[in-house]
Amino acid sequence: MASTTAGATMRGSRFKMLAQRLEVRMLALALVIGFCLSLLSPYFLTHSNIFNMLDQSVVIGIVAVGMTFVILTGGIDLSVGSVAGLTGIILGLSLQHMPIVPAIAVAVLAGGGIGLVSGLLINLFGLAAFVVTLGVMAIGRSLAYILSGQTAISDIPEGMQDIVYTNFLGVPSNILFLITLYIVAWAYLTYTKGGRTIYAVGSNKEAARAAGLNTLFYSVLPYVLSGALSAVAVTFSISQLLSADPLMGNAMELDAIAAVVIGGASLYGGRGSMIGTLIGVFIMVMIRNGLNLMGVSPFWQGSAIGTIIILALLVERLVSSRASR
Amino acid sequence: MQHPPPQGDKPLLLAARDVTKTFDRTRALAGADFELAEGEIHGLLGANGAGKSTLSKIISGHHSFDSGEMLYRGQSIRLRNTRDALRIGIAIVMQETSLVPDLTVLENIFLPELGRPGRLDYAAMRERGRVILDSLGQSDSLPFDWKVRQLSSAQKQLVEIAKALGVGAKLIIFDEPTAALSPGEVSRLFDVMARLRETGRGLVFVSHRLEEVFSITDRVTVMREGRTVLKAHPTADLSQAELIRAMVGAELGAIYTEPHGQGETPGGPAILEVSHLAAQPQVKDVSFSARAGEILGLGGLVGAGRSETVEAIFGLRPRSGGEVRLAGRDLRANDPQAAIRAGLGFVAEDRRTQNIVPDLSVKENLLLAHLGAHRGFLRGYQSRERKVSELLQRLGLPEERLMDASMLNFSGGMQQKIIMARWLLLSPKVLILDEPTKGVDIGTRAGIYAMLRDIVAEGAAVIVVSSDFEELLGISDRIVVVSDGCTIADLPSAMLDEEKLTLLAAPRTSMAHNTAMLEHFAREHGGAGFWALVEEGRIICLNAVVANAALDPGFKAGEACIAAQTQIPRALSRREPIFVPEADNGRTTLLLPMRNSRGHDLGWVGLSLFPDAELPQPEAIKARIDSIAAAL
Repeated sequence: MASTTAGATMRGSRFKMLAQRLEVRMLALALVIGFCLSLLSPYFLTHSNIFNMLDQSVVIGIVAVGMTFVILTGGIDLSVGSVAGLTGIILGLSLQHMPIVPAIAVAVLAGGGIGLVSGLLINLFGLAAFVVTLGVMAIGRSLAYILSGQTAISDIPEGMQDIVYTNFLGVPSNILFLITLYIVAWAYLTYTKGGRTIYAVGSNKEAARAAGLNTLFYSVLPYVLSGALSAVAVTFSISQLLSADPLMGNAMELDAIAAVVIGGASLYGGRGSMIGTLIGVFIMVMIRNGLNLMGVSPFWQGSAIGTIIILALLVERLVSSRASR
Repeated sequence: MQHPPPQGDKPLLLAARDVTKTFDRTRALAGADFELAEGEIHGLLGANGAGKSTLSKIISGHHSFDSGEMLYRGQSIRLRNTRDALRIGIAIVMQETSLVPDLTVLENIFLPELGRPGRLDYAAMRERGRVILDSLGQSDSLPFDWKVRQLSSAQKQLVEIAKALGVGAKLIIFDEPTAALSPGEVSRLFDVMARLRETGRGLVFVSHRLEEVFSITDRVTVMREGRTVLKAHPTADLSQAELIRAMVGAELGAIYTEPHGQGETPGGPAILEVSHLAAQPQVKDVSFSARAGEILGLGGLVGAGRSETVEAIFGLRPRSGGEVRLAGRDLRANDPQAAIRAGLGFVAEDRRTQNIVPDLSVKENLLLAHLGAHRGFLRGYQSRERKVSELLQRLGLPEERLMDASMLNFSGGMQQKIIMARWLLLSPKVLILDEPTKGVDIGTRAGIYAMLRDIVAEGAAVIVVSSDFEELLGISDRIVVVSDGCTIADLPSAMLDEEKLTLLAAPRTSMAHNTAMLEHFAREHGGAGFWALVEEGRIICLNAVVANAALDPGFKAGEACIAAQTQIPRALSRREPIFVPEADNGRTTLLLPMRNSRGHDLGWVGLSLFPDAELPQPEAIKARIDSIAAAL
């Protein structure tokens, strides 16, 4: 008798602990949204639509990984969209001179290089991340237009399509890449010295430095990753479209930041997780997909998504403040 | 009795009953009682974390209270902010002053009026300022047109007092006002406070320096762990021992673990050697060494540059000169990671901003320095698992608390123990702790001291920075005194007491007058002048000026030695107000006592001359010493 009550309270407290985790609550929210949408549109839960949504998650999902790293350190990267646009053009131009693999390498290095510059400016000179990446955002988009000659580069080799449309065990390679990336990023953040340092830097940089952690390196690294991953993301877009447009990645920073924040990360740093971000990405994609299925005008979709983001965070804040009391 | 305790018929200015206050989850006040009469100086005492600062901040409107009652001149009050408090005449003079450094003295005194609409009448303000300073007996000590930035800490404090009077304060709280003052500045402050008492104002004096409490207060209230344990008791009826018992609690008589060997200190090899370290602007010239198996205290007044010194050693603050060697090898500047790997540990002063990582679990906080020292791609936590459980047992922390999501729910004492364990995990050769018991309850303090003893017993060196002289004397084997960014003394703590430490730690600015006087004596008569504490055959030299090398007394400023081993043993043993020739007749020495205006013993001033020189009149020398002592 006594042991069963003890077991019950144990289970009860474990459930409470689980419910206290933001990711768990957000996963519940994602399921609720999915359930509602499946009621509203019979097509929503079909096999092909689910793969379609996963496919739509790839680009934003990849960018959100870099953004999670940056936000964990207490920074922000507004330049991801225009870095994607610029590196997309660099990839398009490189493909005219070299094979696919080195061309992608050039684009990814360029993205990482831009991130390195932002990261150093922010952390060596103590400039505000918001302002530095805002500047880089403007420069990146402008260079994308100049390098492309204001038009899309459409003579992309067909071989690029293999990046997206090769299947392993029936799963497209881009979705596999996304899943692998999240697993690697999660393992890095959880089990490595660098990952824990990123959390510590975001939570209390001074204490991290006083404990001998290399705060400069791990404050800059997220920006490098974010820039490089923007280039990776645009590579997948170009492979699907077989065209590199200077407008690519427009407003992508908003989707990426929204996904990370919905996933429970704190903009002050130190709090957030890859699992949360992945759920955040799915919530964003599901809403957009569902609204499309229901035939909501794209002009209204922005309002709908914005409202849902704010409502989700508001509800979360109200629930969590009660939970912690 | 210099000033009688207030009579029962003196009207009450303030009465607080059963006041409670909780911050987040910490109970800062659990039932505080207090009362203050007009024309009284009331001492508010307690150990670190006893709640005296919280109570003063509630009275002055910085915090609101949760429950209880507060009566001011018979009316119930509930202050929402400091402006409310100032309006009804309650002001606080704080340690970190609330002045605006870039405005002038005059503007700061009348800062509350700058917000009023209309034109400021500077001439009238100047006149009122002069009246206020006159009433304090400090007419010429404040230049009205200087920026506050240029003032000394004592002058800034005077500006704060004048500011309080400018708004017509009836109740003034002095929160640890003497922490950054030299003995001379302290007695000047006490004169000011005595004048304020005469005008019928009520003063609260928050302090943990007992001798000051006895010399200035009429009544005392003692707090412990958020409660009032002794309420408004006449100071004259109390002995020092009774007061200590009230502050510490009867069961915790001796919190300092062991008395150390008299005069001799543990003599291991020097592990950490610091020579001529500078980190501008606060650290100018610091040299000392820490030996294996000893606790070295770094003493000095608030603002003397001790925290900056240890931060520069550890690499958190850029150095501008000097060397640091750990176990014989140079320690690079600006590289905490290299310092940690070489065997240095550092518990920084401010737990919340410099030590705790709030978003990491307790376990990861414990392992944070491991992560910094660790080489390799992965975390390597499992390699420390056994040591972690060992340490937890030593701390008395149940293992399951390790997985707690945040350290912030722990008491200050437990937080500090976990931060210490963070470093013990790495078995450092030298562990530096900056104010290790700040905000730690008295019970846990004893535990922390015992931990420090354990660490040195294992052969490490411990360096403790503390502003609490009693603590410093209680735990250290040896004390290095820092003043104005320079090391000025290095003495076994058994030779020191709080009073001597206070004299040694006095800012160099207040030493300037003294040096000028000694220089005057030495040059004018072609000899050597010194200022020293002399007792029981020992001498601690506070200052020395040698104009003629042949007359070197055999000790330098900041040095301690046996009187018999100096060049002037006879003079030191006789201590009479005449010139005493030494046995070899090589010199003759005049030794005169120095006392300040309050009758405080400030040691001895000596002048050594050749016996065939023209000896000055002792009375003339004495007059000069008295005039300096009065200003000191």
